[in-house]
This record gives sequence, C-alpha cells and structure tokens, in this order.
Amino acid sequence: MGVITVLWEKWVEFRREFYKITVSAMISPLMYLIIFGLGIQTTSHGEPYLRFLIPGLVAMSTMNGSFGAITQNMSVQRLYEKALDQVMVSPTPLWQFILGQIIGGSLRGMYAGAVILLLTLPIRTGLVFNGWSLCVMFLNGTVFATLGLMLSFLAKTYSDAPRFTSFIIMPMSFLCNTFFSLDQMPGGFRQVIALLPLSQASGMLRSIAWGEPVGAGGALILLGYVAVFGLISVSFIYRKKNL
Amino acid sequence: MIELRSLTKRFGDFTAVDDLSLTIETGEFFGLLGPNGAGKTTTISMLSTVLLPTAGEILLDGVPLTRRASAQKRKLSVITQEYSMRQDMTLDQVMEYQGRLYLLPRKLIRARTEELLAFAGLSEYRRRTVRHLSGGMKRKLMICRALLTEPEILLLDEPTAGMDALSRRQMWNLLRQLHARGLTVLLTTHYIDEAQSLCGRVALINRGRLDAVDAPEALVDRLGRWAVDETSDDTLKSRYFRDRDAAIAFLRERPSGALRATTLEDVFVERIGRGVETRDNPRRPAGS
Repeated sequence: MGVITVLWEKWVEFRREFYKITVSAMISPLMYLIIFGLGIQTTSHGEPYLRFLIPGLVAMSTMNGSFGAITQNMSVQRLYEKALDQVMVSPTPLWQFILGQIIGGSLRGMYAGAVILLLTLPIRTGLVFNGWSLCVMFLNGTVFATLGLMLSFLAKTYSDAPRFTSFIIMPMSFLCNTFFSLDQMPGGFRQVIALLPLSQASGMLRSIAWGEPVGAGGALILLGYVAVFGLISVSFIYRKKNL
Repeated sequence: MIELRSLTKRFGDFTAVDDLSLTIETGEFFGLLGPNGAGKTTTISMLSTVLLPTAGEILLDGVPLTRRASAQKRKLSVITQEYSMRQDMTLDQVMEYQGRLYLLPRKLIRARTEELLAFAGLSEYRRRTVRHLSGGMKRKLMICRALLTEPEILLLDEPTAGMDALSRRQMWNLLRQLHARGLTVLLTTHYIDEAQSLCGRVALINRGRLDAVDAPEALVDRLGRWAVDETSDDTLKSRYFRDRDAAIAFLRERPSGALRATTLEDVFVERIGRGVETRDNPRRPAGS
C-alpha cells in the first residue's frame, strides 16, 4: 500500500513536470548522437559507431533519469521542504516508502531510456531491443535509484545533490562502456571500471542489441549493488538519529 | 497517554533536551512552554520520530514509540513549525497524499478533504499549488492535513507563530473545539498568553530541562496571586504576594508602585529568568 502511495506521488510529479522531464532526458543523449554518431561518422570494430553508441546511451540515460529523479527530489523533500517529516510520522512502513522510491526511480529511468530508443528509431542500425533490454534498463534504473536514495540521506544540504552528480554520475557516464570499449583501458583500471554498474548495464544492453548471448554475471553484479545500497538506505531511514 | 521517560537529545556537545520526564494524560491540553532554544521543537521532533532520542524513551499508551511502530504513529498528527509540505502539490494533492500515507480509503479522503477545506475557507484554492499560498493559508492547510486522519493526539509546534491577532484567536477557538471532542493536544509555544488561555497544564522548560509542571493557575498561586510593579529609571521590579491585603500594605510604602494580578508570564520570567529585559530576577515571593 505504501509503495502505491509513493508511486502515486511520483506519478503526480511526472504529470506536472512531463515536458521538463522529457526534454531534459533528450538533450544530452541527442547531442552525443549528433556529434559522435552523425557529425563525426566513425566506425568501431569495423561497424558504424552508432551501433556501439546507442546501447551505451540508453544505459546512460536510464542511469541519469533514475538517479536525478530520486536524488534531487529526496534531498529537497528532506532538507528544504521538510516533507519527509510527514512520511516519518505517518503509519506507512518506511521500508515500503523506500521500495516505492526505488521502483518509482527505476520507472523514471526506463522512461528516459525509452525516449532515446524512440529518438533513434528512424536510424537503421539493425540493433535489437526487446523485453530483455527492458529488464536490463529496469535493473540499471533500480541500481541508480537506490544509490540516489542512499546519497540523498547522506546529503547535508540540498546543494549536495548536484555535487553527487558531478563526482559520481559524470565520471561514470564517460568511463563506463558508454562511448568506448573497456578493452581500450589499461589493465587494473579496466577491471575496476568493469565492475561499476553502468559498465555492466551498457555491456548487457549492447550484447542484447547485437544479438549476442548475455551471461547472468552482469545481472548478479547489478543485483548486488541494489542489495547493498538498499540495505544502507533502509538502515538510514530506521536508524539515522537525525533525519 | 504520552509518557516521556528521561528523554535526552544531544547534538554533538550540545544537549538540546536533558533528561525530560513528563506524563500527558489522554484528553489533556498540555503546553510545553519555554524560550527560544529551550528544546521544544526537538521534543516534538522526537515525538514525530524524525529525531531519535540519544537516551530515554517515549511511550504512547504504554507502548514505545519508534519508527517501526505504525499502530502508535496512526494515533498521531503533527503540525510543525515549518511548512513541511510538498510545495509543488495542489491542496487536493496534499490532502490525498496525507490520506494515502495514513492508509485511508480514497472515498473517505475525498469526503473529508471537501469538509475540511470548506471549514478552513480554502475550497476555492484547492487547485492552487502550496508555493502560491500565503503563510496563513499554508498554516490552515497544515491543520486540515493533520485533522484529515482523525488523530487521537495532536502535536502542535508553535502553531500561531507569525499569525496576526485575529488569526491567532481563530486558531485558539479551533483548538478548543478539537480538545472538546476528546483530542489530546500537546502544544509548544513561547507565547505565554496562549499557554495560559488554552492549556490545562503546562511544563516550563529551559535549556532542555524541565523546570516546573502544573496547571497555570497553580503555578501563579505558587508565586503569589498579586504583583506590585516598581518602576525605576531603567528597570521594572516586581514583588509577589499571596495575599491582596499584604500587597496593598506594601504598595502604601511605595507610592510609585502599581498593583496587578500575577500572570503566567510572571511565573515564566521568574523561573526561566530571561526573555523580558526590563525585569530583574530572580526574586522570591513576598508577603504571607
């Protein structure tokens, strides 16, 4: 029941901010598509670069959509509007509130990813996006919604949210298998980057899009992140002395 | 019944609430009175579980109040000092969100929203977002939101702060009506007239510690029902008397003095010892 309440609140926000959410989900991926895919018409492994780029952009948009939706919203609710107080005093179980936030954030991430898929639909790339792609997008969104939630509980001021984006999301966008393959990275660094969630999501989406088999390893890594960030978030909301 | 048992809250080296023990009976209108920074809001925040105590505990009807205690929290509604609402929601949405958080059926939420917004004179603004409401309207909306869930216990943190005199009186009347219906009310305020007018009992707290707790009249009686004010160039000194004749006899010796009835404010100034710069303190009651 508490999950539905949070999803309703997210839906109210989505309806109100529909145009802003949609346009902001489009802008940077569209720029990357134009610059790297159409402007600088290059190839990767003998294939048009767009075939490499599009799955990465979908993963990146899913990450940005989920993370942004939760971090910004929760930081403002907790630190500026104090609207989280209303939730804390209510009988809604707090784990349900957390779960609702995570699902709501994942759906927002999926929406951002779907916008990119729609934008690239007219481009004939031969890429395949199917139900498994949607599952990966949802899982990726879940990871970053949970991360966003955890960080928003750590935030001391509401200006921390953009800082988290600069320090965590921005480097991941550029390094994690979005624009270039991890194979080109030096050893050691490559293994670390490969373990990051966006690298896994990009890799899985790319494999599905290219019609290659996808192992369960990537999904397990993403589920591991969800479990760790989720447990920390639940622990915060139940145990943090000064929310 | 609300029981605070040795409630303590520290923020680093600063102790905001220090070993506070209180019992508030069911159906009571109780005031938590203290100067700014006394620990009133911290106490309310612990009652609403936003803050967790460093030590001690809170019991509602004998059951510890924790963040997991959904059944206990169902009994509470809080009106905070700040406008703790989603600023970009409309009034209808604020009410619906509250109703959903309290797991109320949607039909009931709609019916009560109609009734409460009409009662507060907010019906015509229901599609307006909170950020476009005046401060007074936001305060009224917070009351509507708190009452939507038909709580057994209403916690109010400085509910009339920043209100004009007319709105304050309207708020007092509303709170009296709610209390008459059997609601337990815990009010924090630094307006002494508010506490004296509304509360059956008050607790005076200062620097997080409980100073005194009793009915306002009993606290006044303890100090002395009659006061004689003596004004000099830069100070106002008050002497307190339990007996009117003793006060008048004292007044005869000091023609510049003025006789008046003692108020809760006198008790506050005497016990808390700050807040009114023109008075000397502490002083002891005089006379018989």
